[in-house]
Amino acid sequence: MQRMFMRRTGLAVLLMLAATALTFALVSAAPGNVAALIAERAAGPGADGPMIARIAEELGLNDPLPVRYLRWLGAALTGDFGISLRTGKPMSEEFATRIPKTLALLAGGGVLALLLSLVMGLAGAVSNGGVLDRLLHGVALVGASTPNFFVAAMLTIVFSVMLGWVPTFGVAGFTSWLLPWITIALFPGSVLSRVVRVNLQEAMSRPFATTGFAKGLTRRAVLFREALPNILIPYMTTFGAQFTLMMIGAIVVERVFGLNGIGAFFIEAIRFRDFIGMQAVLLLFVVFFVSVNLIVDIAAMLADPRLRRPRRA
Amino acid sequence: MKSWPWAILTPALIFVLIGIFAPLLMTHDPTKQDYSAILSPSSWSHWLGTDYLGRDMYSRIIGGARTSLVAMVVVLLAALIIGVVIGSFAGYIGGRTELVLISIIDIALALPSLIIALALIGVFSGEAWSWMSDYWKMIIALTLAWWANYARMSRAVVVAELQQPYIEAARVMGASHMWIFTRHILPHVLGLVVVYASADAGALVLAIATLSFLGLGVAPPTPEWGQMLVDGMSYIEDNPALVIIPGLALTAVVVSFNLLGEAFALQKVPKAVRGGLLRRKKSARAGEETARAATEAKA
Repeated sequence: MQRMFMRRTGLAVLLMLAATALTFALVSAAPGNVAALIAERAAGPGADGPMIARIAEELGLNDPLPVRYLRWLGAALTGDFGISLRTGKPMSEEFATRIPKTLALLAGGGVLALLLSLVMGLAGAVSNGGVLDRLLHGVALVGASTPNFFVAAMLTIVFSVMLGWVPTFGVAGFTSWLLPWITIALFPGSVLSRVVRVNLQEAMSRPFATTGFAKGLTRRAVLFREALPNILIPYMTTFGAQFTLMMIGAIVVERVFGLNGIGAFFIEAIRFRDFIGMQAVLLLFVVFFVSVNLIVDIAAMLADPRLRRPRRA
Repeated sequence: MKSWPWAILTPALIFVLIGIFAPLLMTHDPTKQDYSAILSPSSWSHWLGTDYLGRDMYSRIIGGARTSLVAMVVVLLAALIIGVVIGSFAGYIGGRTELVLISIIDIALALPSLIIALALIGVFSGEAWSWMSDYWKMIIALTLAWWANYARMSRAVVVAELQQPYIEAARVMGASHMWIFTRHILPHVLGLVVVYASADAGALVLAIATLSFLGLGVAPPTPEWGQMLVDGMSYIEDNPALVIIPGLALTAVVVSFNLLGEAFALQKVPKAVRGGLLRRKKSARAGEETARAATEAKA
């Protein structure tokens, strides 16, 4: 059991190292780029060749790639992610102000997606083939197909332009978080509601459900007491995948609603060729995605003893 | 099950047909600006009104269908070919090469495809890549972000098929590797991958629109729905139709491809893999892997 956890964690760390090495290699693929950008910033467009070469030498950009990667990784592990080429501020400072905003966005969206999916999925299962069930199926299909920037635009049209309840841009207080949360929760909520619905249906056709009926339990009692615990594993796994995908929603939403989080920073870094900023954000993303997957795997192992058994090849 | 294919195929087919015949369906040049008719409402000459540069919205929506269709088909084909080649090669050759390739695939799947595409577009923004147009940067970034799913799936099918007795029989009869692969294994791989790709098309259309919405995909004046939507956001109070129309077009297309995907998901594991599943333990695992890969990728 413990060995399985250790093995899984070790694999996750390896994956993080490999993925960050790959992103580092990719982003630094164009040598001299960063030096030229810094020179341009310091001396305006008049930056000349020798100056660029000197900056490259000072920053150690002429060293071989593995040396640069290890140096960068070592610095990152001590909290030094370099200085953003766009804002001129240390990345650690950018992270300190931006990460809380993105986390608040993801957390609120995650909670909302959880509620939405359970309510929709369970209501569908209770209705079981009725009008409500079919209606919710349609809602989930449309919800999982609507681009999140369109959802954001529609919410803005209805709640800001037509009703004037919330500001169209920026965040001020709890209410202004509502539209961003709803926007990023709609897609995962819809996908997860189908996971709940489909797995409940599958569980209801299993022998233990039949036993429940034979004992004289009502359909609702079988559904909630016998079938519901069975959806835990597929639900958790999909929730983990959807939670990481919500980062994409966050990138879009932060731009539409003017939230200065990590996602908005990432897009700005790409547009302004801020390679140092990009590298730092990609490191953050790799750590985020791999650890969410790890947490989901470990939670699944804790919930289902069968998954703890080491698989033999 | 007898009647679903046409009912479910029709919406996606309409999108494809509109994309193909776009030049015949347009009433105006979608890039022609007309300053005498800026932000005009729906009329006989401009069926869906005009945008902030006086361009005909109807023609831009039709043109956007073609932009999405072409980009989607190019990326999907390229990703599919790369994925099938790498995945099949890994599965067939086995050993250390397979291990290395699987690791690469796993790394590529550690981040969501769209994040990888964004990162690659960032990399391509460097001066060393300035010879490439924004459009091709997007196409190449999406392809490099998209192939890994196909590689994983192809490998799983190949591994499952290799367990089958008929492969051994073919080998005993002296068939070459190339013959066994192209004649016996590749059809199974393509069967699964093509089905998956047709459902994946919606996700790709969405990705293209999202990149363009973020200003990192199809650049103006080429009509594209995501980019039209973000342009319309500035005029959301005067004319919300500029946002709603491209948004609805995009949603309709994605819904129609997702319907396809749902229909395919009902059949879950295709026959090719199911056959192997019942026979041997190892191939059963491969079958599970395929199913998992397919469902995970869909989510």
